[in-house]
Amino acid sequence: MFDKKILENIRIEKEKWEEKLKESKERDVKFVTDSEIPIKRLYTPLDVKGDYLDTINFPGQEPFTRGVYPTMYRGRLWTMRLFSGHGTPEETNLRWKYLYENGETGFSAAVDALTFNGIDPTNPDGAPEVGTSGVPLYCIDSLFALTEDIPIDKISVALVVEPFTCAPVCAMYFNMAKMRGYELKNLMGTTQNDILTMTVGYIPYKNSPPNHLLRVACDFIEWTVAQKNVPLWHPINFTGYNYREGGIDAIQELGFVFASACSHIDNLIERGWKADDFVGRLAFHLAAHKDFFEEIAKYRAARRIWHKLMKDKYEVKNPKNLGFRFHVQTAGSSLTAQLPMINIVRTAIQGLEANLGGCQSLHTNSYDEAICLPSEEAALVALRTQQVVADETRITNTIDPLAGSYYVEWLTDEVEERVWKYMDKIQKVGSIDKALSTGWLYKEMRDAFHKRRVRIEKGEEIMLGINKYQVPYDTVTDVFRTSQTAIDIEVNRINKLKARRDNAKLEKILDKLRSVCEKEENVMPIIMEATKEGATVGEICDIYREIWGIWEPPLAI
Amino acid sequence: MSSRKIRVLMSKPGIDGHWRGGIVVSRAIRDAGMELIFGGFQNAKQIVEAAIQEDVDVLGLSIHSGAHFAYTKQVIDLLKEKGVFNDILILVGGVIPAQDFPKLKEMGVANIYGPGSMTNDIVEFIKTHLKK
Repeated sequence: MFDKKILENIRIEKEKWEEKLKESKERDVKFVTDSEIPIKRLYTPLDVKGDYLDTINFPGQEPFTRGVYPTMYRGRLWTMRLFSGHGTPEETNLRWKYLYENGETGFSAAVDALTFNGIDPTNPDGAPEVGTSGVPLYCIDSLFALTEDIPIDKISVALVVEPFTCAPVCAMYFNMAKMRGYELKNLMGTTQNDILTMTVGYIPYKNSPPNHLLRVACDFIEWTVAQKNVPLWHPINFTGYNYREGGIDAIQELGFVFASACSHIDNLIERGWKADDFVGRLAFHLAAHKDFFEEIAKYRAARRIWHKLMKDKYEVKNPKNLGFRFHVQTAGSSLTAQLPMINIVRTAIQGLEANLGGCQSLHTNSYDEAICLPSEEAALVALRTQQVVADETRITNTIDPLAGSYYVEWLTDEVEERVWKYMDKIQKVGSIDKALSTGWLYKEMRDAFHKRRVRIEKGEEIMLGINKYQVPYDTVTDVFRTSQTAIDIEVNRINKLKARRDNAKLEKILDKLRSVCEKEENVMPIIMEATKEGATVGEICDIYREIWGIWEPPLAI
Repeated sequence: MSSRKIRVLMSKPGIDGHWRGGIVVSRAIRDAGMELIFGGFQNAKQIVEAAIQEDVDVLGLSIHSGAHFAYTKQVIDLLKEKGVFNDILILVGGVIPAQDFPKLKEMGVANIYGPGSMTNDIVEFIKTHLKK
């Protein structure tokens, strides 16, 4: 990037400078990134490799290091999308409207553990958890209640459900939208539909085996985007965030998401589609963790890796399909219940990382999230935190302002190189469903859990309030409690629906679903029919269980 | 003192899949030389059956869903019904607000470990508080 003569002069002068430093002492700490990349004392033009036009270039131009759009935040700010849901659809609807009135520009539905696992509230297994960790969305009526008075044609909604319940929950949403008079071809939104979230991010409760999960995830991509039923939808959001939270590092985070993305693309290509038919709608959800520069380098490297994968491996032709678009969530696992107000500072810094890294959408965590679901006050502070960055700091004046920093460019190269190597390691195990069923990914997670615990307990990774300036665990904030009556409300909602629907007609449709599942055909068309007739998420998932079986993940301790 | 290893059952009541806490603590317990039985997802009946069958000294319940009162009560009621409550040290860990500790202790939980707990504190507590 620099003239050879200039570089030679810098090299000579740098040696002289380092000579002078020999007597200077440095603090006795390891200067490494969170993923243990050793960091030099200083970066100079000597560390920046590559040609500007080849490896960095302009925003909106390949390889998109500086951003996917030519104007980035000068054209349009990132979407402020808080992940939110609790109690009942009605309560969540009130919270959504409150945040919308306060400037939120995208919605994201956090569902409860029953919706996540395809269990109806009438099933005693999970009854105490109705609405405790998200919004219950068990039937089409819930979707009407969730979005009441919300202009879902103008503001996009992210449905955070995974492959096992993706088809029924999204089919309920699409049917609701149609009944409200919206055309599916104009509908904007995202479904998480991420196989790794519900297998290694969390462990699945009575879900089906990974090969079936991979297939239904691809059914959804095929039906919405490739077959153009909901062409503007993002049918999958590879959610590195959820497993990063478990303790894997930035390199593994990108390795997991790209290996997973490749398995999905391969599946759809096997079905006869071309990558160009759908890759432009694939989306990503990454973490903004504690290492400020490593995270920024990660976003920049991710754009470059994706571009290379699409262009070289999948021979994507349309330049619009080469861009890596991503949502970011600040790191929940970096928050502490001790001194919860410090979480506001942590979140602000992490949000800034995401913005300096060119994210398309951002969730900032609430300060009380180490203890409970966000209270209204804490959620507003979280929203205002990103609004401070957007409206007051002027960081949006210019695009990718950290480009050209010797350190950031060097670190971007370093992260990229390490991710390629790690992806090779995963892909040697096989496709993503194999990496799950063989237990390989569980061992990676287990090792990460253990390593992170030791680092924190030894004080190598500092967490203020926990292992430095300790304070006893004593909750000083008010604890937000979810509704105690949610269970009764939801059971009642389902009973009313069951009394109203044509059960004989539905039984026939569910029988057809059984046969579709047996033949391993695309489940979406028949599930659109079933949910329209009032099938619940639990009823549909029970058919999956019946035909495909229940999977016990090979957990490692 | 018998030379029998301390036996610990680690269970996840309910259906919530937040699993890191339970695994991290399980590993620490095993590393401390105790016998760890990882129950994974279990309902109250399965937990109590496993606790009796495995003759455990300690029962750990990992709960991150906010439903800690309901699940803990189900388990303790059944332990009492089966007459083994007085033999087993019950610990609860997870996203449990400090305000809820007194009520859980009243219910019969020996100790509660919220966010930011250190695993060596858990191991130490087990060693010094066994019921039998």
